[in-house]
Amino acid sequence: MLKLLWRFRTTLWPGLIVAILLLGFAGVLFGTLYYEAGGIAPFPVSDRILSLLKFTLFQAILSTLLSLLLGLLLAWSLAHQPRFCCRGMVVALFGSSLVLPSLIVAFGIITVLGNHGWLNQLADLLTGHTFGSYVYGLSGILIAHVYLNASFASLGLLRAFESIPIEKYRLSTSLGLSSWQRFRTLEWVAIRSTLPRIGITIFLLCFSSFAIVLLLGGSPVYNTLEVALYEAVRIDFDLPAALQIATIQLMISIALLLIASGMPQGLNNLKQPSRFIPWPEKRQVALFQRSVILLLSAIYLLPLIAVVLDGLHADIPHLFSRPLFLRSLGMSLGIASVSTVLTVILALMLADARRHFGLPLRIAERGTIGRLFGLLIAFSGNLYLAIPSLILGLGFFLIARDMGGSMTSWGITAILTANLLMSLPFALAIMIPAMAKTARRYDKLVFSLGLSPLQRWRYADWPYLRRSISYIAALSFSLSLGDLGVIALFGNQEITTLPWYLYQLMGSYRTTDAAGVALVLLVLVFGVFFAVQYGDPATGESHAAR
Amino acid sequence: MKKTLTLIAAALLASMTLHAADKPTLTVYTYDSFAADWGPAPKVKAAFEKANNCTLRFVPSSSAIGSLRKIQLEGDKTQADVLLGLDTSTADMAKATGLFAKHHTDTSKLTLPAPYKDDTFVPYDYSYFAFVYDSNKTHKVPTSLEELASMPESFKIVIEDPRSSTPGLGLLLWVKAQYGDKAADYWKRLAPHILTITKGWSEAYNLFLKGEADMALSYTTSPAYHIIAEKKLQYKTANFAKGHYGQIELAAALKSSKHPKLAQKFLDFITSETFADIIPTTNWTYPVRQTAKGLPEGFKSLYVPKMILMDGATVQKNRKAWIDEWLGAIAK
Repeated sequence: MLKLLWRFRTTLWPGLIVAILLLGFAGVLFGTLYYEAGGIAPFPVSDRILSLLKFTLFQAILSTLLSLLLGLLLAWSLAHQPRFCCRGMVVALFGSSLVLPSLIVAFGIITVLGNHGWLNQLADLLTGHTFGSYVYGLSGILIAHVYLNASFASLGLLRAFESIPIEKYRLSTSLGLSSWQRFRTLEWVAIRSTLPRIGITIFLLCFSSFAIVLLLGGSPVYNTLEVALYEAVRIDFDLPAALQIATIQLMISIALLLIASGMPQGLNNLKQPSRFIPWPEKRQVALFQRSVILLLSAIYLLPLIAVVLDGLHADIPHLFSRPLFLRSLGMSLGIASVSTVLTVILALMLADARRHFGLPLRIAERGTIGRLFGLLIAFSGNLYLAIPSLILGLGFFLIARDMGGSMTSWGITAILTANLLMSLPFALAIMIPAMAKTARRYDKLVFSLGLSPLQRWRYADWPYLRRSISYIAALSFSLSLGDLGVIALFGNQEITTLPWYLYQLMGSYRTTDAAGVALVLLVLVFGVFFAVQYGDPATGESHAAR
Repeated sequence: MKKTLTLIAAALLASMTLHAADKPTLTVYTYDSFAADWGPAPKVKAAFEKANNCTLRFVPSSSAIGSLRKIQLEGDKTQADVLLGLDTSTADMAKATGLFAKHHTDTSKLTLPAPYKDDTFVPYDYSYFAFVYDSNKTHKVPTSLEELASMPESFKIVIEDPRSSTPGLGLLLWVKAQYGDKAADYWKRLAPHILTITKGWSEAYNLFLKGEADMALSYTTSPAYHIIAEKKLQYKTANFAKGHYGQIELAAALKSSKHPKLAQKFLDFITSETFADIIPTTNWTYPVRQTAKGLPEGFKSLYVPKMILMDGATVQKNRKAWIDEWLGAIAK
């Protein structure tokens, strides 16, 4: 064992140290808060918190199930329509859902589905009746959550479909299975293990949703636990109560990650991934799949089109002549660039360390140690989902206060950390399976040739991982652009980002300008996303078409 | 990457040079829209610095309560000399912390619509909460809270959450002042008209401007922005004869301030004529003093209601119970 730990030192320890540092950071954060609060509110929780918790869990479970269902339908359709026109574009489009600033999306959804939205206007025109204000309430929360997460689910699942070996499809074709039988006997088995992992990420995202829940929820009946947290911190200044709520979220996340760690990684079939599934669909099935893709793309695009149309009313050239706008833009781009580099490096380190466990020819294929290390890395990579951003900001602020120094630099550090933590869960969700795959594929060869880690990287990992890395970079860059949460306490006139500027405009009647900034933000997010996906000749369409 | 580092370094340097100047720096914690480039801050800064040979620095939070919490978290390390932006409903939260100093500003000459006298907080502007509507779209408008609750079911309003927003708390107190023990019953009747309850004013007002609701809870002075800055005349307030709940905004100096004299001068300044001329078209509220110049033209067409105001101590004592009552009534 010790020998193995030594042998893999260059690839194991950086990741482990990063994981330990991240966990240590979380520990210091909670410790500082605990010290400041002078304790934690005693359990059991009050009836109100309990009822908030119940609704939070209810809406998060429902959002997750619906997202998975719709995501599965979309992934299945995309997987079986490889020659669908502009399929690469559609995939990239759905890939961007995670990074869209949620408040902008929520307002886009309202433009389409709201009380006075496009749908109601159309209905009024055609029938003289409208559907009314159905979008406010549980339905609105679910619509927005499914909008943001179903597309994320579909991408993960599409990869799972594509990792099913062609041989298996060939076999089931020759057995004469129907599309449904094929799904049940072949595909379901392959994607089953991917579902819980994606589901848990979606669940935690919906669990801690706040702005969307208040905007579209309509009434305190549909409040989530985050509202209670906000109330405890901002209104009552009751830090022990805040800590109690944060602990509940932490426990739920730990429980979920524990469950996930017990599941197989779902990488059993890696012989020859099927980019093109050799399965001619029946005409009706193909038609259905195409309709699903078209319909969902249209639904996905509508709110974004609404944001664009709204933004076009603004005087964009004038916006670019304003110093404050330019400064916010510069700072947002700068912070996003640094966050991206950090995210990619840390994700590679963590994923590289992770693949030493759970694979043959490595340190521990199965057993307690492997699980323990897997858990350590999984947990450190998912801190953002386990710690509410309000608590993250608060804890960071207290640490900054105790350590002293310039609040501006602390503020920037806090934003960078938050961005990093926010991007890591998604980066790892992509990187861990990808690196495990290259390990399975090349380990025997690499170890028998005795390649150095650098050589291994150059010849085995890099060519294979390039596509995933650029995807992670785009994801993390765009995620960092849209972030708002953590800087509230650090806000001063030296730190100003685009979302902050947008909110400032919204908060002082400047709605048209705000819509313009939202458009700029949207164009940036999409621009970066598509540029990275298509700019690299080894990725994107050309790759997909090979 | 290199560019970013330079940018961050430049930001650091800028913040350091700020402290390096030998003129005294007065730091004011306030809410975001006050400190914004188009808010009162730039003009206030220029005028105050010129008169007092000092540097005035504004540090914004998303709300004045946020600024207060920041001061509490920073404890004795806080750089804040003055907190600006709490109102009569929230000032007692701040007083309870014992962090604020008594002032010596003469507030007897101020022209406030409701009496306000406090040994710690100095008023600098005021407005009235009101429901704003678009007269091109909405024609039948209620004239009292009672009428509002008995509008047809399709008449929708957007309000803010009293737990996270001052207008939201204002409406809660407004209803409480008029309905007393029957407030919960009123909220039950109003509930079907509430399209949604947002976290802050921004979301509510933007939903209204998008045409989602007939009215949004805002201020009687909101139409002035549309008249003056956008030349749009259709935005009006629903005027309630029994009175509107008021918001008087306040500032106070901290005991821990290293420049108590300068802080006191700032409190005097915010009740001066110079300040009173800046406020209307930057903060879109009324100043606390009449000036030679008078109010801008767009303000003259605004409705001036009777001001309803509860005293801060009563609000502080009952806030939690009243919010619980509101939650109980509206959640059913």
